[in-house]
Parts: sequence; structure tokens; C-alpha cells
Amino acid sequence: MYKIESKNVDFYYGASQALKNINIAIRPNTVTALIGPSGCGKSTYLRLFNRMNDLIDNIKITGQVLIDGGNIYERGINVDSLRKNVGMVFQKANPFPKSIFENVAYGLRVNGITDKKFIEERVETSIKQVVLWDEVKDKLKKSAFELSGGQQQRLCIARCLAIQPSVILMDEPTSALDPISTAKVEELIYEMKSKYTIVIVTHNMQQAGRVSDTTAFFYMGELVEYDNTKTLFINPKEERTQNYITGRFG
Amino acid sequence: MINELKIIKSKRRNQAIAFFIFRLLSYSIVAILFIILSFIIVKGVSVINWNFITQMPEEGMTKGGIYPAIIGTLYLVAGSMIFAFPIGVLAAIYMNEYVKDGIAKRIIKQMTNNLAGIPSIVFGLFGMSLFVNKLHFGDSIIAGSLTLGLLALPVVIRTTEEALKAVDNTFRQASLGLGASKWQTTRRVVLPIAFPNIITGLILSVGRVSGETAPILFTVAAYFLPKLPTSIFDQAMALPYHLYEISTSGTHIEESRPIAYGTALVLIIIVLIVNLLANGLRKYFGNKVKMN
Amino acid sequence: MTHLDSELQHLKAATIKMWQLVNLQLDKGKISLLNLDKDLAREVILSERRVNAYELKLDRDSENIFALFNPVAVDLRFVLAVLKINNNLERTGDIVEGIAKFVLNVDHTFDTNLLELTRAVEMYEGANKMMEQVLEAFDKEDTSIARKVFQMDELLDDINIKANKIVADYVRTNQDNIEAALYLLSIIRKLERVGDQAKNMAEEIIFYIEAKVLKHKSKEEKNRE
Repeated sequence: MYKIESKNVDFYYGASQALKNINIAIRPNTVTALIGPSGCGKSTYLRLFNRMNDLIDNIKITGQVLIDGGNIYERGINVDSLRKNVGMVFQKANPFPKSIFENVAYGLRVNGITDKKFIEERVETSIKQVVLWDEVKDKLKKSAFELSGGQQQRLCIARCLAIQPSVILMDEPTSALDPISTAKVEELIYEMKSKYTIVIVTHNMQQAGRVSDTTAFFYMGELVEYDNTKTLFINPKEERTQNYITGRFG
Repeated sequence: MINELKIIKSKRRNQAIAFFIFRLLSYSIVAILFIILSFIIVKGVSVINWNFITQMPEEGMTKGGIYPAIIGTLYLVAGSMIFAFPIGVLAAIYMNEYVKDGIAKRIIKQMTNNLAGIPSIVFGLFGMSLFVNKLHFGDSIIAGSLTLGLLALPVVIRTTEEALKAVDNTFRQASLGLGASKWQTTRRVVLPIAFPNIITGLILSVGRVSGETAPILFTVAAYFLPKLPTSIFDQAMALPYHLYEISTSGTHIEESRPIAYGTALVLIIIVLIVNLLANGLRKYFGNKVKMN
Repeated sequence: MTHLDSELQHLKAATIKMWQLVNLQLDKGKISLLNLDKDLAREVILSERRVNAYELKLDRDSENIFALFNPVAVDLRFVLAVLKINNNLERTGDIVEGIAKFVLNVDHTFDTNLLELTRAVEMYEGANKMMEQVLEAFDKEDTSIARKVFQMDELLDDINIKANKIVADYVRTNQDNIEAALYLLSIIRKLERVGDQAKNMAEEIIFYIEAKVLKHKSKEEKNRE
């Protein structure tokens, strides 16, 4: 049984086609890396899974995107509950202008949870999950902006974990971080795999190799190759993939 | 080598000339402001004293104070903002957060811009015909406030929109991504971040409104009213109009000249205070947003 | 050309140089064996140091590329192949050195007739040819040339297998030449291993160009491909 499947997905911004007939099936508890040059459609594709593209005007999607077997683009789907199930971490750490505690509690509060004790417990476990607890436990009431960039990004991951999604989307989560913070986030991704299904967009080829089980290479809106990460990096089937990952593009 | 030296020299010379011109121009702006301010201060500071700002005008406005004009201006500013703030802010939120790009949005935007471009005397005329005559408010604080409010509306909408636009989209996406609704996102994330900038915009529009003469000309301003208004349907005096009257149409223009400069100084000081307030509030809320 | 490309080209050029040196060593070894030329044998033994120096250099160059360029896909496979080919070449160098040492040790009574009987010279030439073929395949990145080597190795195997009986027969009739015969048998064993090295290198070349792992496959399977 696949966690995420996309079947014949076409996607348009206005008249221009951003994704062409994408077919991918992702198993649960795996990390899938989406790679490709800028503007190849990988971020657009990632944002299909929590319908973040809906925020953009004049878009059109055809085909099916299934999560746990259900088409998330079906009429009558509650987008808010879909997004509760599909968390997202962004390129730039973007904690809300609130306290550290409130940042993590935010997702619970907007989903109508008011039980103070429950929120406190969930916030603590989430922050512990991202190995940030020891660093922030004495300053939970302080502004999240006081944290370093790497800590902020881990806080954003904790914020996303607090509402207990089953899928986590990451859009270049370490591109603004230093190598040590990057390593910490990658370690997290590796550990989170046992509980979540993770899809990550990255420009860092080595990162894709380190963290992912499967890798999809996008080029100009097409899915060129989708395979085991090891196979793709040692012995890609497509010449375009090889040219891209070895840095001999165009 | 010689050629190269020549080029380097001419590059340096050109740069020096350009910088000199830029420097001259920017200093001249400061100089102009300084000249105007010192002119007003020198001429006006002698008449300003406690009595001047707390007494009624006397003897055909050649003597006495400008107390009712100050109070009138404050009333008008407060009234216009009570009207323009909520409408303007809500309209901007709606426009920026809810309306999708399209013809409707473009039309509303264009109209808002056009509204901002209408001369203020036209607002005055419109206010007179609608509020004063049609709605039978008469020359009154409410008619003046509504007219000034209309004038301030596009400024409020535009500054609020700019403030909302300055909020990075990833904040919205992060909030929506956690299952928050659009309204929850706007109220809990977007508005708190945009708040310092919104406040600044609002206060700057206060500055603009407090100095307007034309819109209150036909709608509220009294030439001479040696008593304070008691209700919003009363006429009131206002600083800019007062200044205009005593400088142009008084019977003793020469005698009341010092009072005119005093009035101008008071007006400038009020606008200055408002601007300083804007800066202070912006910093205060800026910090508060971070702390929450 | 990317920076990595030029590094890889350098690595390839260095590999080819080492390879040519090893082939030259093989050649000289053969001549010294045919003529029992002890001076030439000494030269071969001395030159073996150069082969070893090359091995260290290629190792270091490959390490640098791994550490600094994180090669992937065909680049990764190429550097891996070079590392292994390097190893194979060094072994081949050792084997030639062994042959040269034998030439040094053997005395004038060595019966060159035995070379004819065991087809040792033919075998030597076969091994030489194999090494040259694989080098050409490596240089031109042509897997079809590399594949021919597997066929050629069969000749070496054949001679190797038959050599036992031939030497045994010879020893029965030439009792005073036993030692020389045993030496020759060990040379034949060595040449057989040169063939194996060449075959391994051919496999590496095919792996890096076509990314098929040929090792530990049976002969039939290899030929099918």
C-alpha cells in the first residue's frame, strides 16, 4: 500500500504547464527527495500534497493525487484537515512572531484544542522530538526570534509535528543553514522516518543522497527518473539525470 | 600606462562631481525645511504662551488665543479616524487577503488610487452636498469628520495594504499548513506582524488630515466661534482654516499677523508630535510583536 | 569542461601512463626470459619501483577526487574503476618482477626447448596482448574491445591446464632439469594470473561505462552479454 500516489498529474499556472503527466508512488515511512534545476516543477509538485498551490490564482490541476488512497483533489475534501495531516517545513525558518511555546502550540490552538495541560504536554514532546528541549526549556515564554537560525528551523519542525501529521513536506529545509545545523536537521529527518512519510525538495545532491530512500529527478516539468536513491546516484538510467547529478548540465 | 592613469583620474573627477551635486541637493532639502521652520518659529514663538493655547480669540481675532481651533482640530481628526480606520483597514484586509487577482481587484485598486488623486476641495464640495445638505447634518463636526475621513480613506487603505504585503507569504503558508483557516491566519499571524506598519500608516494619515483646509471649508469650519462645540452636530473652528481666515479675510490682517504665525507654529508642532508618536508606537509594537 | 572533468582527465592520463609502464615491463620481462638477459631482468626489477610510485600517486589522486568533488554516477564509477585497475596494475607489476627475478636466478643450463613445449611464449604473448587490448578499451572507453579479452583469456587457461602434464612428461625424461621445469611452471602460473588481472580490469571498465557488475558471473553469462 502506498502512502502517496500521483496519477497522470498535469498542473498549469494560467496557460503554462508546470507539471507534465507525473506518476509517482511513495511508500509509507520513507524519505523521498525531489531534485532538479530551479523552475523544474519540484516545489510545485511538493505543494500539491497539501494543496498549498490553491493559494495561487489561475491554477489548474488534472489527474489524481492520492494520500492514503483518497484523492485529495476530490470535491468536498476539507483542505484544513488535509493540511493537518500533511505538515510543511519551509526554506527559510519562519517562526511566528510569538513565544517559543506559542509557536508550537499554534497548530493545536487553531484546530480548536483548549485543554491547557494537553497543549503543554504536546508542546513539550514535540520540542523534545526535534532535540531542542534542553536548549529552550528555560525560555519558552521568550520570542522565537531570539533563537539561532538552526534552532528556529527545528522549532518550525516541532510546530509541524505538534499536530501529528503523517506526511511531512520539506521545501529546501536546510538551504539557509550552516553545516552543523544542516547536519542536525538531516539527523532529524533520518529519525522521523520511522513515524512519518517525508518528501523533501533539495538543491543539495549530497543531501538527497544522505537522507532519502528514493529520489525523483524533475526537469522542465517532467519526471525524468524516479528510482532508489542508491541506484539513481550510482547508476542512473537516463542521460539527463546523469548530466544533472554530475554537474554537466546544458 | 599613461592612458590608464588618465582614465582613473577622469573616473574620480566624474564621481566627485556627481557626489557633490547629490550632496548639494539633499542638503538643500534639509535647508529648505530648516528655513521654513525657523521662519515660523521666529515669527510665531513670541505669541505662544499658555494663554494663547487656552484662551478664546478676542477683538476680531487680533488678540486672545486659539483654544477652540485646537480643540476643533482634535475633534475633527478623531472623528475622521473613527470613520476611516476601521473601514480602511478592513477593506485593505479584504483586498489583500481574500480577493483573488482579477478584473474586480484591479478595478477596486484603480478606484482607490483615483480617490487618492482627487483634489481635496472636491471632497469638500462633495461633503457639503452629501452630508451637509442631503443628510441635513448642517455645518457640523460630523459632516467635517466624514468628509475628512473620505479623504483619509485611500491613504489608510494603501498603507494598510502595503503593510500586509510586506508580510512574508511563508508566514501565511506556514499557518495554513497547520490547518488554520484564512481568518485565523489573518488575525493571529498576519495582522500582528503587519501591525507596526499599519499603525505608522494610520498616524501619517492623521498628520495629513489635521492640516487639510479645503474639505472643512464648506462642511464644519466656523469663522469665529468663541465657545467650544457641545455636540457632534455643532460647528467648530479648526487650526488650518483659522490660519487661512486670519491671513486673508480678516478686517485687521496686519494686527492679526503674529497670531497667524503662532497658529501655524501650533499646527506644525501638532503634526510633528503626531509623527514622533508614529515612530514611537511603531517601535513599541515592533518589539511587542517579537515578544508575544 | 568542469573542474571535475579536468581532474578526471588527469586521473585517466596518469592511469594510462602507469598502464603503459606495466605493459613495457611485461615486454621487457618477456625479452629477458627469451634471451636469459640478466641485465634486462635487473632493469625490470628496478623499474618496478616506478610502478609502485604510480600506484601511490593514483591512490592519492582518487582520494582527493572523492574528498573534494563528491563524484556521483558515471564519475563515481570511473574513480572506483581506476582505484581497482590501479590495484590490478600494481599486482601485474609484481608478477613481472617475479618473472625477472626468476631470469636472474636461473643458470645457463635452462632448456629453452621447454618454452616451446609448454607454449609459454605463446601464453606470454597472449597475456601481453590482453593487457594492451584492455588498455585500448580503457583509453577509448569502448566496452566491445574490453569484451574481447574474455575470449582471449581462454587460450591462457588452456595452456595453463595443459602445462602440468607437459612439464611432468618432460621431467620424467630430463631428470637433471627438474628445477628449471618447476620454475617455468611457476612462470606459467604467473602469466595465468596476468590474464586474470586483465580480465578484472576489463570488468571494471565495463562496469564504469555501462554500470553492469560482471564480477563473479560465470563465463557463459559474460559471453551472453
